[in-house]
Amino acid sequence: METMISAKNTVSAASDEDRRLTYAVYVLLLLVIIFSTYLHHFQPQVFSVPDNKNIEAWQRPSFEQTTIHDRMTAEEKERTRLVGIPMAGDMSYLITNELIMLLLSWWCFRHARKHYGFWMASCFFIGSFVFTGLEESAWILSGRYLGGTMSLAPGGTIYGTYWFTKGFGWFVETPVSACLGWFIYAYSCVWIAGRVFPKLSLLTRATVGGLTAMLIDMWQDPVLTSPELMNWVWGKADWLLIFGIPLYNFVGWFLLIFLFAIFWEKLPQIVRKYGQHQATIIFLLVCTVGSVIVAAAIFLICFGIAGTLASLAGVQQTLHIPPGW
Amino acid sequence: MFRKIWRNRIEFYPAIAIFIWYTVGVLLNSTVVKSRPGIGTLGWITLPTVAVFFVAVYKTYRGLPSEGGKS
Repeated sequence: METMISAKNTVSAASDEDRRLTYAVYVLLLLVIIFSTYLHHFQPQVFSVPDNKNIEAWQRPSFEQTTIHDRMTAEEKERTRLVGIPMAGDMSYLITNELIMLLLSWWCFRHARKHYGFWMASCFFIGSFVFTGLEESAWILSGRYLGGTMSLAPGGTIYGTYWFTKGFGWFVETPVSACLGWFIYAYSCVWIAGRVFPKLSLLTRATVGGLTAMLIDMWQDPVLTSPELMNWVWGKADWLLIFGIPLYNFVGWFLLIFLFAIFWEKLPQIVRKYGQHQATIIFLLVCTVGSVIVAAAIFLICFGIAGTLASLAGVQQTLHIPPGW
Repeated sequence: MFRKIWRNRIEFYPAIAIFIWYTVGVLLNSTVVKSRPGIGTLGWITLPTVAVFFVAVYKTYRGLPSEGGKS
């Protein structure tokens, strides 16, 4: 059977072979999650997972080399040293959180399947999951293994990037809940942009979608990284912190949703040109290789180019906007 | 109105998902943060997002097929 592409950007998976390929990717994704989860919880030495209970054992970065350390009062530092990351060991909390994320993801998937077909919905889900999971893991692991080896003005020594502290299931070193969250975020914000500005160009809608998500993130990140929650921890490295969060986080949020929205909406054109089978392979290749390239590009833009310009402009050390955050 | 929304609930799934994320994941969590005065005020930064969210929900509702000749 021929692949069907409607005027509404719907691609129906007509071929059994393509449907099998999509299911195979789901199974592969599940296997990677099971294996990563096993490594994270039972073989933490493989990825040098920082201990949630023994903060003093942290290396690259050490507790003193994290941004949260500078934000804490002496009392908060003492409490963190004593009890570790808040609620990190509470499995019922972690499982409940993941189940809620699964339910919300399922709702978004149902909506996508109804409007764009199974294949397009699967591409959005798998693509966003893998894209964000690999991009975040590339950042996390590069910081973990290269932390302390690089120095860039005006932020100085890069002690590490960041890492997530809480999660039941893991995709490499990114919690499944974060990958699902990114799917929910990206799909909902692209949906909002499409509903509110249906007549604008794809580029403008992708920009609105990216900005919509980034604005929520500008509140969400300071909340979720506070001493009371510490859902993830930042290493010191950056020359510009906005509300206590490194600039590259917000650049990353915007760019990832912007680029992914454009690529996803271009998929029907790729199907027309190469057929659905090859389009699936192209899509997965771009999502895997592209995520690492985007991670490297964000590093280059935020640390290399913007950092050098700030240094030339006379910035001597990390800027905090607003001061005190 | 509620029957119309319920019958077309799939159309609102992305809105419900981001709404739950926003209220439970961010808004409720912001109330437990005591170490940083002003964290609640920072929430105003999301006002444009909240505004476009409600416009999207309204447009979705308006776009639903009418029931028995009534919209």
